[in-house]
Amino acid sequence: MSFAADRAQAVVRPAHAAEAPAPPLTYVGIVTRAIAFAVDAAVIQFVAIAVAGTFALILSVLSPPDKFDGVLLVVGSAAYGLWLVGYFVVFWSATGQTPGNRLFQIRVCRAVDRTAPSAGAALLRFGGLILAALPLFAGFLPILLDDRRRGAHDMIAGTVVVPAPPVEITSRR
Amino acid sequence: MGGSIGAAVVRPTVRRINRTAVATLDGLLASRLAGDVVERLAASPLAARAAHGALQGPLVEALAGDLVRYRVADRLLSEGLVEQTAARVLEGEELERVVQAALESPTVERLIASAIESRLLDQAVVRLLESDDLWLIVDEVASSPAVTTAIAQQSAGFAEQVAGGVRARSRSADAWVEQRARRAFRRPPAPPPGPEAG
Repeated sequence: MSFAADRAQAVVRPAHAAEAPAPPLTYVGIVTRAIAFAVDAAVIQFVAIAVAGTFALILSVLSPPDKFDGVLLVVGSAAYGLWLVGYFVVFWSATGQTPGNRLFQIRVCRAVDRTAPSAGAALLRFGGLILAALPLFAGFLPILLDDRRRGAHDMIAGTVVVPAPPVEITSRR
Repeated sequence: MGGSIGAAVVRPTVRRINRTAVATLDGLLASRLAGDVVERLAASPLAARAAHGALQGPLVEALAGDLVRYRVADRLLSEGLVEQTAARVLEGEELERVVQAALESPTVERLIASAIESRLLDQAVVRLLESDDLWLIVDEVASSPAVTTAIAQQSAGFAEQVAGGVRARSRSADAWVEQRARRAFRRPPAPPPGPEAG
């Protein structure tokens, strides 16, 4: 074989060709995702109830006028909505893993390159999640039938959910 | 003058006689005859009687008094005799043999069994449980970093084990539900996992 041919093969060959074979491409199903989502819901509600309870106690001492009830309701709802959206958007866009996902060792990632979705894509995915749940959760049925186990929200945001085994972190001394 | 001449003559003679006597005695003591005589004497009733009489008499008290007076025990202790003896006993095979024999003896077994069955042990346990010092030790041990770390690791390990079990079951449930759904919707089974995309 000529030097040029050797050189051409060396260029074409992927850098990780000599490494261990990559794990098979799998996607996470509806049951695991539902349980992970339930864990996230529990975390969200626990924090929300704790914070709301604290504020309720404070307000019970301060006893603001009744005319502020509407304002407090709006502020409280906005805070809850922000907390709810922020929870998913931040975790999905940061590492692709919410605490529930981490517990079940799964990860949300972009379908094209398997990186964590951007904040915009995460926001879009959350919106898709709401939409998928509106028609009696029919938007989640594609997870059962799609080859990549994608729900409507995954298709909207261009994401998939894949297994994410824990990474061993070794301290360097 | 006459006295000094006499002394000059007599002293060497006396010295020579002394040397001769000592050499004779050394020869006598080194001889087999002396050994035989000593052995006969030691084995004879005379020696036994002599020793008996000596032990009955004031010799023992005198010896004990001298031992105290001249602080023989202190001198021996200061020379490390006890340490040397203890080291020799601990390193030697004799102690191991003695302990082994003691452990294997039925007497020791009976003694241990009777000690366990005795009320003394029960009383000792009751008193131990009633003492504040015991609970102080228990508190110290329970709050020690080694124990708390071990408990934390054990708890984390158990939680991880439970989570792993739930994960495995949920993955099985994923496949089971998907299989049923695909069958219900008359869809082909899910394709097998493909190779990892680069």
